[in-house]
Amino acid sequence: MDGFTLVLWAVRLVFLLLLYLFLARVIRVLLRDLRAAAREPAQRPGRLVVLESPAGEPAVGRSFGLDVITSLGRDVNNAIVIDDPFASAEHAVLTYRGRNWYLEDLDSTNGSYVNGHPINGVAALGYGDEVQIGQVRMRLERT
Amino acid sequence: MAVRAPAAAPVTLPRVLGPIRPRARWQELRLLALVAGALAVGSLSLGTTVTGRFGLQDVRGLAVYLGALLVAHVAQVLAGRRTDQVLLPAVAMLGGISLLLMERLPQDLVVQHFFGSSYGLADVQLIWLVGAIAVATILGIVVRSDSWLRRYKYTWAAAGVGLLLLTFVLGTEINGQRLTLEFGPISGQPSELLKVILVVFLAGYLSENRALLVEQDTRVGPLRLPPLPYLAPMVAMWAIALGIVVVQRDLGAALLFFGVFLALIYAATGRLSLVLIGLVLFLLGSAAMANLFEHVRTRIDVWLDPFADPLGTGYQVIQALHAFARGGLLGVGLGAGLPEVGGRPPIPEIHTDFPFAALGEELGIVGLVAILGIYLVIVQRGLRIGVAAADDFRSLLAIGLALVIGIQAFIIAAGNLKVLPLTGVTLPFISYGGSSLLANGLVVGLLLALSDKGVEPPPPPGTQSRWRRLGRSGAA
Repeated sequence: MDGFTLVLWAVRLVFLLLLYLFLARVIRVLLRDLRAAAREPAQRPGRLVVLESPAGEPAVGRSFGLDVITSLGRDVNNAIVIDDPFASAEHAVLTYRGRNWYLEDLDSTNGSYVNGHPINGVAALGYGDEVQIGQVRMRLERT
Repeated sequence: MAVRAPAAAPVTLPRVLGPIRPRARWQELRLLALVAGALAVGSLSLGTTVTGRFGLQDVRGLAVYLGALLVAHVAQVLAGRRTDQVLLPAVAMLGGISLLLMERLPQDLVVQHFFGSSYGLADVQLIWLVGAIAVATILGIVVRSDSWLRRYKYTWAAAGVGLLLLTFVLGTEINGQRLTLEFGPISGQPSELLKVILVVFLAGYLSENRALLVEQDTRVGPLRLPPLPYLAPMVAMWAIALGIVVVQRDLGAALLFFGVFLALIYAATGRLSLVLIGLVLFLLGSAAMANLFEHVRTRIDVWLDPFADPLGTGYQVIQALHAFARGGLLGVGLGAGLPEVGGRPPIPEIHTDFPFAALGEELGIVGLVAILGIYLVIVQRGLRIGVAAADDFRSLLAIGLALVIGIQAFIIAAGNLKVLPLTGVTLPFISYGGSSLLANGLVVGLLLALSDKGVEPPPPPGTQSRWRRLGRSGAA
């Protein structure tokens, strides 16, 4: 074992060490990211973003955090009040069951629409789908 | 800014042309500095071993590579997007290791001629690596909307299958596999591109039909099966791709497509029953194929007992096992492994199919674990981007793209280690090969673009597929 061989072995070990140093640094970044995500307030399962609202209530661009059961309609007792002449007082209910969203129409006069198609009773929703109650269009998004 | 748009104007104009605010990316820069340091030490280790005196190996190549990384970093800083800062350094580390490996293999394994001068293995690999980083960076900066992917998923799928059929008819045969398509001086392997297209298609289809797949059941007696009719078009698309791939004898791509397909179905629906059905189908299919096709049976026989024919079919696998054994815990050091047999490395196709074995010999299991860790980091970033995405399409796309890299790395690493039968897919970012590097650059670029929080909101859902409308009325 002369000096040259020893130094060469040291260089080889330093290379492996640097690989692990890189990995450790990256993992620290990932852990910090995950902890920051965990500290955020308890997440709601989704939100509704208003895309179009001719009557102005709710306003366009407003975002509603959703509970597991959210009622929609013109009546002020609804979780999301839709003050639109074409919406019924108790129009529809959004529910989150299992890992899926469902929109249930409560026999409203003008019906509820998902992605432009009228629904019969209950319809399953995915994130990114559009819900229309009266003339108000809203999009379901992940929070 | 000569004209200021009125306030009521739609804000969906491409902001690439608007004012750009640079945003520092210190995390990325710090990690890239670490990559540069590690690669310099690696180059020193390699150069010293090869020449017998202290010195770097191929300073010019290393400088070009690190310069390209710096340019990619600065371009992203100037673009000012809030994209992921870990992906580029992780990919850069893998690419750098690839460069060190290619510099150390015999340069005449690959010789390409561009503009009158010829380039050896390391030079060509360097060109493709820089190209992959350029593709990733440009996509990460420019792509601000995904509607061009989600709107045209059937078009993409058709284009992908068309590309494969074209390869089958017009392709050039190399090593008994018809995988390469040549147009004049340009040649490529379409299956690398097809894996990206497959993920785009599956993400689009599953996000549109996820709600139905989760909710409805087909009942056969006491069994609760998933809604088979809704799966039919997707399974058909998958079977077409798989059939062509099997006919082309590209088993690695078939395995990769199948793995991605199952993983995405599970990610979209959370139903283990679907995965179990898929696995059963897979086992039945492989048993049938092993009986029908000679080349499949050979692979499986070699996997079960490579020593049955040590100088013939089992040669590659046995040499790879010997390489791992010589490497041991810490490896023999960069440049010191791979005794040459008649001036060639002992493992045929070492630069495309067996880089994992070569690295196992030179860096040992300690080095291999670090490399696998970097792949895991890339997968974790992709899953994290998927979880944070605003809608189903983006989240499935990010998950699928990350898993393509992860599953591909697993298939070839397991093949090298004789954990799975050997199939010829590339080790992402490390194997030699332009198509593979560029396709993986495309994957990383899309992941970067998807990771931006300030990305354009998802477009309104378009007209629905026929399957979904049927489901809506049936769900009453």
